[in-house]
Amino acid sequence: MIRSGIRRVFALALRRRDQWERDVEDEIKLHLALRAEQLAAEGRSPDDAYAEAVRRFGPLTESRARLVEAARQRERNMARTEFFADLRQDLRFALRTLGRQRGWTTVTILTLALGIGATTAVFSVVSPLMLHPLSYPHSDRIVFVNQQPAGGNNTGIRVTITPSMPVVRAWQQSAHSFEQIEAYAMSPMSMETTSGEPSVIQTVSVFPTFTSFAGTQPLRGRMFTDAEIHAREKVALLGEGFWRERLGGDPSVIGKRITLDDTAFTVIGIMPASVDAPGIHAQPSDVWLPLDIHNDRRGGQVVARLRPHVDIGTARAELDSIYKRDPSHGAAMFQFRTVITTPGEQVSFRESLIVLVVAVALVLLVACANVAHLLIARATTRRREMAIRAALGAARGRQMRQLITESLLLAFGGAIAGVLLGWIGLHLLVAMRPRELDALHAAHLDGTTLAIAIGVMIVSGIVFGLIGTVQSARASTHDTLKAGSVALNGTSRARGRAVLIVSEMALSAALLVMATLLIRSVVNMQRADLGFQPQGLYSVTLHPLKGDITSKPRAAAILRDLTTRLASMPGVRGVAVASYPPGTRAFLIGRLEVEGETPSGSTTAFIDDGEVAPNYFRVMRIPLVAGTLFTDTTSKSREVLINAGFARSHWGRTSAIGHRVRVGPYVDAQWYTIVGVVSDVKTSGPGTESNAPMLYFPWTEPADSTAPPELPALLVRADPGTPMQALVTTASREAGVRGTPQVDDVVHTIRGAIAGGRYIMLLLTIFALMAVVLASVGLYGVMAYTVSQRTREIGVRIALGAPRSTIARGILVRGVLLAIVGAVIGLAGAHWATRLVQSSLYGVTRSDPWSLAAGVVVLAAAALLACIVPTRRALAVDPMTAIRAD
Amino acid sequence: MPRLPLLKGTLDLLVLRALTWAPMHGFEIVTWLERAANGQLELEDSALYQAVYRLEERGFLAADWGVTENNRRARYYKITAAGRAHLRAETKNWMQYAGTVTAVLSAGKDARPATAGA
Repeated sequence: MIRSGIRRVFALALRRRDQWERDVEDEIKLHLALRAEQLAAEGRSPDDAYAEAVRRFGPLTESRARLVEAARQRERNMARTEFFADLRQDLRFALRTLGRQRGWTTVTILTLALGIGATTAVFSVVSPLMLHPLSYPHSDRIVFVNQQPAGGNNTGIRVTITPSMPVVRAWQQSAHSFEQIEAYAMSPMSMETTSGEPSVIQTVSVFPTFTSFAGTQPLRGRMFTDAEIHAREKVALLGEGFWRERLGGDPSVIGKRITLDDTAFTVIGIMPASVDAPGIHAQPSDVWLPLDIHNDRRGGQVVARLRPHVDIGTARAELDSIYKRDPSHGAAMFQFRTVITTPGEQVSFRESLIVLVVAVALVLLVACANVAHLLIARATTRRREMAIRAALGAARGRQMRQLITESLLLAFGGAIAGVLLGWIGLHLLVAMRPRELDALHAAHLDGTTLAIAIGVMIVSGIVFGLIGTVQSARASTHDTLKAGSVALNGTSRARGRAVLIVSEMALSAALLVMATLLIRSVVNMQRADLGFQPQGLYSVTLHPLKGDITSKPRAAAILRDLTTRLASMPGVRGVAVASYPPGTRAFLIGRLEVEGETPSGSTTAFIDDGEVAPNYFRVMRIPLVAGTLFTDTTSKSREVLINAGFARSHWGRTSAIGHRVRVGPYVDAQWYTIVGVVSDVKTSGPGTESNAPMLYFPWTEPADSTAPPELPALLVRADPGTPMQALVTTASREAGVRGTPQVDDVVHTIRGAIAGGRYIMLLLTIFALMAVVLASVGLYGVMAYTVSQRTREIGVRIALGAPRSTIARGILVRGVLLAIVGAVIGLAGAHWATRLVQSSLYGVTRSDPWSLAAGVVVLAAAALLACIVPTRRALAVDPMTAIRAD
Repeated sequence: MPRLPLLKGTLDLLVLRALTWAPMHGFEIVTWLERAANGQLELEDSALYQAVYRLEERGFLAADWGVTENNRRARYYKITAAGRAHLRAETKNWMQYAGTVTAVLSAGKDARPATAGA
């Protein structure tokens, strides 16, 4: 069968437009001439014959136009057919060539896939966390506004001061930098349910203007009004998710009442699920309530939208000046400054996520470099093939096309494998996510990133594929053929490959150092002495009992009852009350003053404090270093215990016992006498500072007032294997409360505190190893190529009596040298790059010699491995075969 | 005697048929058709070239420049294997169609369903 494309066997090159137009013209002319001759032969006069010929042909102008159009269409379609026929041929040829070099093809496709997959997985995780944390209109101008002590945040964790309501009001009235300033407060509340057991739900309190801020409207019903806020109406909107899941989406719920923390609220509307609760990584809000505008002691968190083109610095200066102008809200006493953060800056593990992005970008670079020299090396070995094809008449353009087809085919394979890897990777990342990054459960494969990663790989594939061709094109066909397989091994080309390898090694070394630093940090954290014993310690959070507690005396009774019952349970060694469980910190805001000393420094800082029962230290296993525990635990008690770090740093070798301290500069601040010193603890996990001052005040039973109290936590020390949750449930039932307290194993709490760091460490290690593997594969490729190019030379040397060990050493040394040069450059790079992980380091410095050494050693070992096979191949060279080969 | 206008699509078939034996240039095809149809077909010569281009586009014909007996440059058309297959199939269709139509037109009032043979 003659395929349509075969026509070109006659016509060879594609014809240009003027050519086929002329062809049509010629054909018509010939036809008319032949017809006229025929008619003349039948006896007509020449003129008459020609006129008749034209008549039979049809109206000349129109016919000609029609024929040209038909020819044009023919040419266009045939060109297309021919293009596809060529493409099919190219593809078939490419598949055959790639299939012949299965090892090479696999390595290349895997390299591409790793680059694409890793990048996509990481960006898919990072982008929803960092780029789109809040879905409000003009989210690029949304900021959070907080306050901090003027001296900065001294806690080592992210902690801010929520501005008081008068401050928020002053800002709302006077600030010009903002389009809108919204205050909100989030808190869990307990809700009465029909089953009898109150459940804890998430509420957020806002102003009526919040709907316009968030660019939304209630799904059903209406938003509350200013009047209702001022009149303290108890109205509520339900979150759509809560309404659908818990109430089955029943529309008749509007107008009904729900009871939250013993207060009845009338449901007036449903808030759509598309509205994010303000706050980063915030849980969806179950219920929306009016913000209590009258309670000036309660702070309001602030989210605001900047006016266009107003920068954060200007806005901050304005809020600062408004705050200082009005001393009525404590501005004279405290030194606060305004802090404005973007949603992106509030993201947990922001620095670590950036590290990951950098790391994965480096892996992508290494992958690109690898693909580059895989392709270049291949192009070099194929120069003879190309030359032969050129000699047989293949056009250079056609050869380029063939090579590009191969590159694209590889890229296509890589892209498919990459998407697969990315998908698997993303699911692994999501499955391993620490609790702090729970928002990740919704992460999906990021299309843009995928497209970019594939694009980068394809472009690098084409570019480097072409570099190979251009290089081979430069050498004349004649020379290449004559040179035989001892191809022109240009030194510039060899140097180019060396540079690529060294850069890959350098990037890998930098990643290795970073990963090792993080590994050592995590190990240090796991080994760190917390100052108390988390094994066998359980924290019991009483928040779910809120619905049971209507007054302080009732709270005191429940607490006493629960404590006694728990303490008598089998396996329980001790139960202590504390104002909050491990894993949480609380701060006093002010200045720590020692009696008789002139206060120094800022009037405002965060000071760790806690209220604990005297047996807290025994239950936690925190040793008493000096003095005694509390002797007076009544509300009149003026005793305080401090940590050893504070005692040491302030009183040195002299005793701290008997000194009096207070937190100023409140006018009515009381002095407390230090009765004892306990050793330093890190109750919030190893990452926290333990030498900072910590004040322990005696826990006093809630009494007198009828307002519901803040609920403390119970700490339980128990024998291993004690079924604590069951015991607590039993104790609560016996104590007659309806809620079930939440029980946490403190070991899990502590582990959770370092889970984030471990997660990042794990990912970084994976990337570092990926980079090392890729770089080693690259090195292997280069060395194997060198050996194959030098087979003849090696053969000659062996024939001339060179010991094989010398030859082997030469090859090994060259490979390892490349790796070490790369590693050294990488260490320099690591010096810069490790600044990124500075905040995640624990117990190691950035210039930790072990980590630096690990980088070099691992890399050198990988390089050695990569060189083994090429070296053995060099050793196996048979001089006779090698010399005769050409 | 009035000449017959060509039914749509039949010209392609006739051109393919013309080329079954040997490659021809455009005018040769025209004269072959005129001779074969005994001058009964009504056809503008330009329509033939349109048909030829169409057939070439569809891969049923291949073309190349050649030289006539009188040493003139002419475009010669040659039927391809695909063209032959097309001709075979279409000829069969046409015969069946024409036979059926003929059978119907010549059938009496109580005709049974017409069966046509090609």
